[in-house]
Amino acid sequence: MPSLFERVRDVIVAQLKVKPEEVTPEAHLIDDLRADSLDIVDLTIALEEAFAEDAEFQISEEDAENIRTVQDIIDFLKAQGVPD
Amino acid sequence: MRRAVVTGIGAVTPVGLTGHETWQNLVAGVSGIRRIESFDPSDLPVQIAGEVRGFEPGRYMDTKAARRMSRFAQFAVAAAVQAAEDAGLVLSDAERHRAAAAIATGAGGVLETIKETDVLREKGPERISAFFIPMMAPNMAACQVAMRLGLRGPALASVAACASGLYSFIEAKQLIASGVADVVFAGGTEAAIHPLPIAALANMRALSRRNEEPERASRPFDRDRDGFVFSEGAVVLLVESEERARERGARVYAELAGGGLSCDAYHITAPLEDGSGAAEAMVTALRDAGLAADEVDYIAAHGTGTPLNDAAETAAIKSAFGEHAYRLSISAPKSMAGHLLGAAGALGALAAAMACYEDVVPPTINLEHPAPECDLDYTPQRARRRTVRAAAANGFGFGGQNACVIFRKYAP
Repeated sequence: MPSLFERVRDVIVAQLKVKPEEVTPEAHLIDDLRADSLDIVDLTIALEEAFAEDAEFQISEEDAENIRTVQDIIDFLKAQGVPD
Repeated sequence: MRRAVVTGIGAVTPVGLTGHETWQNLVAGVSGIRRIESFDPSDLPVQIAGEVRGFEPGRYMDTKAARRMSRFAQFAVAAAVQAAEDAGLVLSDAERHRAAAAIATGAGGVLETIKETDVLREKGPERISAFFIPMMAPNMAACQVAMRLGLRGPALASVAACASGLYSFIEAKQLIASGVADVVFAGGTEAAIHPLPIAALANMRALSRRNEEPERASRPFDRDRDGFVFSEGAVVLLVESEERARERGARVYAELAGGGLSCDAYHITAPLEDGSGAAEAMVTALRDAGLAADEVDYIAAHGTGTPLNDAAETAAIKSAFGEHAYRLSISAPKSMAGHLLGAAGALGALAAAMACYEDVVPPTINLEHPAPECDLDYTPQRARRRTVRAAAANGFGFGGQNACVIFRKYAP
């Protein structure tokens, strides 16, 4: 069973077309992983779909504004009840 | 007046993944029509198309850029990069504001519209991709080509149905003649192979239903033609000012001599039966090119394989070229590649320009029994060697838009 980090990493790699080794917990989505505002919107959609069976949640615009790093995504998902 | 010349070719079509491969297969009479593979066509009355097979966008752009483009824009970027490489073009930063893109399309990113409409219905508005609008918009092929190649002059995107691809060459010539640009990437692109447009065109009775014999389905000017074959792809030629091309010692395929446009102002789909609208575009193109009718040796016909088009186009050629219509060579690239819609005119332009360069006329394949109303020389079945002093490309679109562009053999 892949870890939460690994599952998040796979979604980010698929969406942002970055190399898996670039996706570290500290990596900043915009500064390090070269995402722009449009990428972030589609990334939140992809995360909602990827974790729909783990917990019921939606990523609001306000939530999205507070997500800056890979670790922020992991913390958000844990807070929604997604198991680690 | 500043002259315009073609110095590079690029294409992604059902008959080749490069400009040169496409041209060679047109000359060799290779059909690109097959049973549809990108989806199961079993419940459609038309199950054949000219699909681009084996296209790898990653060869021409990075994967992140590719993800932000609909297929029609990916094709255009690939064809434009090929044209730049074929021409050995190097742009200095100072030249970029005099470098332009003119990439026409019929339907733009209609595949994205269809896809996101399904998302809207099945998953709701919050799941709509933030990339939908910038992927769907029809100007995006031109803008993505500009972004990829650093072209900071005009980015133009004509929409003229199946005549679209030729509008770009008229724009290119004007941009260069007027001194606005020195370099123009000109062409057309289309990627709309999906059950929705195919069902619609099938219901219009515009498409061939020869499902059992895909390679024989596209048969312009033939007695047994029963419609066109839906295709996809892009063709982009690099058009350069003659002065710039000469200074850098570029290889020149042909001169872009002139063009003409007209509108039938008659019917949403049917051409004027006497072809007078199309003839007007050809006569205007001859005048613009400064050529007499008998100086044109080849016409890359619109030649769709629909009963109405082929008869009207034949009448139009006779009207525009008089007795010389019986002496020039005509052929239909669509007999091999199918109908590339917004890119179709650009494929004709490639055929016309290369015919001038190589003195060879590609064939009209599947022309076994010419229809009685089609009595000109359509170069049946096999390519023909002949001196091509000048060559025209025709394109006519639903709505009655007509375009003709003329290339001539380059003489410094």
